[in-house]
Amino acid sequence: MAVTPTAALVQTLNGIQFGFILFMIASGLTVILGILDVLNLAHGELFSLGAYTAIGVFGFIIGIVGPPGGGVVGTAVFVLAVLAAVLVTAAILLPVGTLFEAVFLRQIYDRDQVYQLVLTFALLLILLDVKKVIWGDSSIRTDAVYSAINTIPTSELVGLNYPTYNVFVILVGSVVVVGLFWFFERTKTGRIIRATAIDREMATAIGVSTDRVFTLVFALGAFLAGFAGAMAVPPTSATLEMGTNPLVLSFVVIVIGGLGSLRGAFVGALLVGVIRSWMITLYPPGEIAAPFAIMALILLVKPEGLFGTWGETA
Amino acid sequence: MEQTTTDHDTGGIGRRQLLSAVGGSAVAAALAGCSTLLSDGETADQGGQSGGEISDEPIQAGLLTFTRGAPGVLGIQAQRGAELAVQRINEAGGIGGQREIELDVVNEGSNPLDSYNQFIEEGKEVTFGPISSGTHSQIAPEIEKNEIINVSTDGTVTTLYEETVPDPTYSFRFQNYDIMEVVTMAREAVERIGADNISTVAGVNPGYSFGEDEMRVFTQAIQQLTDAEIVYEGFPELGASDMSNHITSINNEEPDVTFSSLWGGDVTTFVRQANANNMFENTTVFGTTLYSAAGDVPGDALAGTDIYSGSRNYYWGLPALGNWQPGRELFDAATQQEGVTVPTAHYMSGYGAVTAWATATEKAIDLLGTYPSQEQIAQVLEGHGFFTPAGYHNIAEDHQGASNSFAGQMVYDDDLGAARLDDVNTYAATETAPPPGVTGSDWLDSWSA
Repeated sequence: MAVTPTAALVQTLNGIQFGFILFMIASGLTVILGILDVLNLAHGELFSLGAYTAIGVFGFIIGIVGPPGGGVVGTAVFVLAVLAAVLVTAAILLPVGTLFEAVFLRQIYDRDQVYQLVLTFALLLILLDVKKVIWGDSSIRTDAVYSAINTIPTSELVGLNYPTYNVFVILVGSVVVVGLFWFFERTKTGRIIRATAIDREMATAIGVSTDRVFTLVFALGAFLAGFAGAMAVPPTSATLEMGTNPLVLSFVVIVIGGLGSLRGAFVGALLVGVIRSWMITLYPPGEIAAPFAIMALILLVKPEGLFGTWGETA
Repeated sequence: MEQTTTDHDTGGIGRRQLLSAVGGSAVAAALAGCSTLLSDGETADQGGQSGGEISDEPIQAGLLTFTRGAPGVLGIQAQRGAELAVQRINEAGGIGGQREIELDVVNEGSNPLDSYNQFIEEGKEVTFGPISSGTHSQIAPEIEKNEIINVSTDGTVTTLYEETVPDPTYSFRFQNYDIMEVVTMAREAVERIGADNISTVAGVNPGYSFGEDEMRVFTQAIQQLTDAEIVYEGFPELGASDMSNHITSINNEEPDVTFSSLWGGDVTTFVRQANANNMFENTTVFGTTLYSAAGDVPGDALAGTDIYSGSRNYYWGLPALGNWQPGRELFDAATQQEGVTVPTAHYMSGYGAVTAWATATEKAIDLLGTYPSQEQIAQVLEGHGFFTPAGYHNIAEDHQGASNSFAGQMVYDDDLGAARLDDVNTYAATETAPPPGVTGSDWLDSWSA
């Protein structure tokens, strides 16, 4: 199959866009794993919870501001409203993460990891049932965002046929990446978190409350999962099963990047996104296998992943 | 004075003629949607001719269908259709005028074989369902072993009666199967675009056996009807949130026809993302089950699209509701039920499966004068013809249902609040299905002979 340069560019952009969504999910998973040493099986359900919650939040906030008005100001107001809805959704997940860590996980940090797996799997099932009770069995979606944002010209201005919403995801994803690295590298709280990850006992000895740090980190993980769910849902629907595939792919991403490495999660997510995209282009049946093949290859060459574990750098 | 039905009431057809036409009993008339034409205000004694040995014990029936999750889009339609058929049977006095039906609905879920076996352990006299082709292949051998009739609502895999249970006795399938809906859409593509204008074809189908089966059959059919080359085949996972890669590949190839058997929520995701990528400027989409998303796909996603969808053995708008009272009544009853925006072909799959079994059982009671055995009902079901508001249906001697199929342009109807099909074509079963005893593949191969 001959691929035109334009199609090649669009497929690469598709991969980058998918990679950014993956990064937003995997970053929370890897931060929790790197600092708390907990593999959170409920992370996909937190992502899904974000998607479900976002549909209501989008409806409420966009109901207030209305569809994108004419002109630059009207468009900007609409985009800001969408961003606000995404942030509000993610913020709603903060207390959920806090509750999970403080009430459940904290009780079993000193136990074998298998207990953590069983517990987070139980939380996964509970969240699944909670969604069923609140939103029912059927899929739901929002019609307020995707089409509206796509009416804003972006790629057309440079002669490309590419949905504006995907451009929006790439831009927001880039800001999230920069923001996360800035938080962990430049802020005091970020440095405390990193210090706790590197040496828990030493951090405690110099007065850091590891309980607080752990709660903060788990809440941050839930925030990122909710943020990702809100960004991912407008072009599709929220379904009960939607948390499963992102969880599996996020595992692949953090194994490729190095368990607990934020930098690794970023590179791994983009790698998986772009290679999967090109696999669909060149050999569609390889779509599902491609990420796992990359993971197997990386594990063979560099068993600790591309960037090792959480440590001196994020 | 007791009201009686006159020839005038029934549009010039006498009560006896009407009963005879629809199968000889009030139950058959009710299921055909003709009960209002017969109604004299008393329904309890209007069942089929009851033999003296028929008890009034309710018939325990089981329906295996998806009641939740993504496949629930199809499964709930089938459930509601089956429930309406059961309601109509019971209101008409029950089977043989004596036996009402109690329908137990169980989610097909992840262990459908266990659920089916549970039905048998509970002593169900008949089972309906499933929806999934995989489930159907699993339970069909069990159905034969248990010797309890099953009339499947869907589970339309082509190989079921070719390979899985090649000589069935108790397993029947009401819904048009894969080859019929795929051939319908291959013929529809040629009808709409013209064979000479189809030189390239792409496919975006669900990434499991159903989607692969449909693409394989479509490839065979379209290449018999045209000189088309397959330029792209994509198989996104069920419930995929991102189909942009497949859409970009189609935009790259600009195929004359894109074939799709996506269904339910996947249709909405595909159509929305395809529209955002201007895909409909580059291709025309023909799909077998796209209309299953009629109540889900939003109006703005369908605006400016070029999509033709099949609708298996039923389309609610044909004959036009204004001209077809049974269709009107079914539509009105269906849209009153929870979870049904408009009844789709999966609604009819539930309604028709129950109707096939009920009318065959009534026919057997008529013939025997007593309540028939499983084997006797099975014998009557072979070659059994019956009516629903969708028209006439036949269960052929190979146990496969054969009905007209429908296809038209999928557009959004603001008044309806759902998608509808415009400019609908009807295809007879003889145009879309191989004759009994001939495999689908051999039949398609024979086209060039």
